[in-house]
Amino acid sequence: MKMADGCVFFRRNRPGITAKNFCRWPDEPFEEMDSTLAVQQYIQQMIRRDPSNVDLILKMPEAQDEAVWKYEHLRQFCMELNGLTVRLQAECHPEACTQMTATEQWIFLCAAHKTPKECPAIDYTRHTLDGAACLLNSNKYFPSRVSIKESSVAKLGSVSRRVYRIFSHAYYHHRTIFDEFENETFLCRRFTAFVTKYNLMSKESLIVPIMEEEGTTESEA
Amino acid sequence: MKVPSQFCGSTMEENSSSASQNHNGQLSSGANVPLTNNKHQGNDNGTNGDAKNERPQYSMPGILHFIQHEWTRFELERSQWELDKAEFQARIAFLQGERKGQERLKNDLVRRIKMLEYALKQERARYHKLKYGTDLVIQGDTKPPIYEEGICNCPNSDVGGGGDGEAPFTSVSNISWRQGRQILRQYLQEIGYTDTIIDVRSSRVRSLLGLSNNTDSEDMNTPALNGNEPSNKQASENSVRRIPGKKQPSSIAEAIILDTEAAVMANFEFLAHTDMDMEEEEGDVEDDTYDTNMDPKPNKPSMLLTEDVDAEAEEVLNELNLLTEIEESPPGSIRYSSEWSAIRRGGHPDPKRLNEEGDSALELGELEQLCVNNEAETSYDMVATTKESLRKTWNAKYTLRSHFDAVRALVFHPTDPVLITASDDHTLKLWNLHKTLPAKKSASLDVEPLYTFRSHTGPVLCLAMCSTGSQCYSGGLDGMIHCWTLPSANIDPYDSYEPSVLSQTLKGHTNAVWGLSMYQLRSQLLSFSADGTVKLWSPQSKSPLLHTYISEQDGIPTSVDFIRDESNKLVVAYDRACVVFDTETGESVARLEANETKGVNRVVAHPTLPLVVAAHEDRHIRFYDHRSATLAHAMVAHLDAVTSLAVDPHGLYLLSGSHDCSIRLWNMDNKTCVQEITAHRKKFDESILDVAFHPSRPFIASAGADALAKVYV
Repeated sequence: MKMADGCVFFRRNRPGITAKNFCRWPDEPFEEMDSTLAVQQYIQQMIRRDPSNVDLILKMPEAQDEAVWKYEHLRQFCMELNGLTVRLQAECHPEACTQMTATEQWIFLCAAHKTPKECPAIDYTRHTLDGAACLLNSNKYFPSRVSIKESSVAKLGSVSRRVYRIFSHAYYHHRTIFDEFENETFLCRRFTAFVTKYNLMSKESLIVPIMEEEGTTESEA
Repeated sequence: MKVPSQFCGSTMEENSSSASQNHNGQLSSGANVPLTNNKHQGNDNGTNGDAKNERPQYSMPGILHFIQHEWTRFELERSQWELDKAEFQARIAFLQGERKGQERLKNDLVRRIKMLEYALKQERARYHKLKYGTDLVIQGDTKPPIYEEGICNCPNSDVGGGGDGEAPFTSVSNISWRQGRQILRQYLQEIGYTDTIIDVRSSRVRSLLGLSNNTDSEDMNTPALNGNEPSNKQASENSVRRIPGKKQPSSIAEAIILDTEAAVMANFEFLAHTDMDMEEEEGDVEDDTYDTNMDPKPNKPSMLLTEDVDAEAEEVLNELNLLTEIEESPPGSIRYSSEWSAIRRGGHPDPKRLNEEGDSALELGELEQLCVNNEAETSYDMVATTKESLRKTWNAKYTLRSHFDAVRALVFHPTDPVLITASDDHTLKLWNLHKTLPAKKSASLDVEPLYTFRSHTGPVLCLAMCSTGSQCYSGGLDGMIHCWTLPSANIDPYDSYEPSVLSQTLKGHTNAVWGLSMYQLRSQLLSFSADGTVKLWSPQSKSPLLHTYISEQDGIPTSVDFIRDESNKLVVAYDRACVVFDTETGESVARLEANETKGVNRVVAHPTLPLVVAAHEDRHIRFYDHRSATLAHAMVAHLDAVTSLAVDPHGLYLLSGSHDCSIRLWNMDNKTCVQEITAHRKKFDESILDVAFHPSRPFIASAGADALAKVYV
């Protein structure tokens, strides 16, 4: 890619570059991205610039297909949730968290199995993320990253609902991990804003009180 | 031909020895018997005359006795001379037979190669047809080699030959006949025969042919039949000569000569058809007969002498015959000879010769079968090898989709159809290629991952696998090297979490770990990091860190590999050069650099040769000889930066991946591109990040920034 000033550089990570410089390159305007992965590139670019600026990250460029926008964001959430899972693996043991719970109201059954199962929390977390990875990469439901089938859009909601439980479990059972992670990534905040904005989940199910301006949604209903 | 000079030498020896013999003679004429090369008799007569004049006391019986004595001496000498001559001839014949054997072997091999080439072409065409449904257009000849025609199309040549016993034989070209003729002529000139003598000979042959009935067919060889010419001509020569030899012997000597000649021809004719060497041989034997023919002494001694020669020649020929029977003959000639012996049987009364030929035909018949068997074997072999070595095109078969971001690295299991991928999404995934999803309408199969390894807190950048496939190693942007115990390849993807899968973590690097290389035999692991160090680990031991290598002047490494042909060395790529280190001392042994090389993205060592291959950011692939530290070859390999390299387990092919979205397969031998596959899409300016060969199965794989990995078969 050529910069306007004529100096040639590439937005690539050469082997040997330091962790600090990984993916550190000047932003590329969304209009100039000609790749099929432009939306992912753009979202990651915005996150890298300022992960706390949730509104800007979720601000969809003009003339962008909304389904693809949602799909790519959800991919990004699932990907970043790996980071939370790695932390949970160290602390969330099957003996302690035998069930996937957040508040005492619900026990979540793991949908990854033929008959939904009462998996321990850590298994539920892993299975849900693995299942989401397979679903979102499925050639059947999401064969393209440029256009999303109308019938597949509904899947985004169910994936959102399931992965949100990871946030809620971490919040209610591994608060220190949650807070550490949240301070770094603002992921739950962004996720809540995302599902609210695109109406992927009902307000009642957003049980992590993360959005101050919306007050406590921590209803036990 | 050294024959004349050899003979000459031998005669000299003979003379000197006979001269010394002379001292012991009865009359003891002493040293005054001046024996020179020629005209012994004349000289002796002169001496005798002198002796007579000067010393009249010699009695008549004494003189007669002396003359008789001299005569017997000469006879003795002569017979010795003949003996030597025959010996040399036998030797010549033997050497020529040997040479012919080699020639024949060579021809046979050449034919076999041609056959294999043809079969290969056929196989390729068939494969192409099966695959694409269209006939493959091959620029070269699609005809089977002449060799096969020679076997299969016997009836054709029979028809062409007019059906009067023409040999069904096509493998001798007109050119080789001419060449043979030329060489023969040369040899004859060397020995001292002039063209006129040859002409005389050929005119004699012609006159003899004039007596024969089948001259017509022989002389009227059409150009199409040119291939048959030598054998035909020779054959008819034989038959023709034999007939007058039997019917009208002008003299006894001539009769014997002709008989010899006939015998010679009969013995040689089935040898003579494949190549010009036989023409030489024939010529030599005929020289022999001519030699005797030129001796114009129809008296009794000379007669005896000729008989002697005859016997000798027969012996030589028998020897030759034996030789040829032992030798493996190409099937074409076998058929010919057996056919001819059948014809001969009808026309020739000599039972001995007939017997001989029958034998040889039988022998050769067996050989023919052998040859056929060989052919069958080779064709089977080919079918077996086609699958492996003749595989020319790789096609994407499996698409591994489950990563959320760029796949940075992949590694195959040493034996199973299993691989592991590592991605920017912080995970590694285990895939079993035999566990595919039910195929949809798309051609490539989807595979779902069996297991997701989570422990890195940043993108996973590199992978390595141990020799047994039980452990795998991953390095990440977080500076960690994790050692994983591989779950079973048949694990339930949604089994419960087993923390022991992460068996060990190698800590030591302070920045992103960008590359790993495994030395299988010693179970040692090399890693390099953005902290500027290269570290050697022994993962299983208590203190795993063995060594740290740093090159102050070069800064941060960009790739690392063990040198495979010298296990105590490793090569580290830096921005400006590749440096070879000694694993024990940690000293740099050699620097591999070419003019203005910079930006090595990947360096791999050849499994057997002292060759190091480097992929450069400037689109080049460079080959270095690490022993001499010289640049062996450099080529622009891609349209964009070359990012990744892999050498197949046998060291025959090189696989390269580039940010130009394609992977290319190179022939290591001649550095030509065998295949190019456009494999992945770009994310920012990155496309293909890793390529790999399966160590024992016909799989290759590529990993892309588009979050996909693909496996090709």
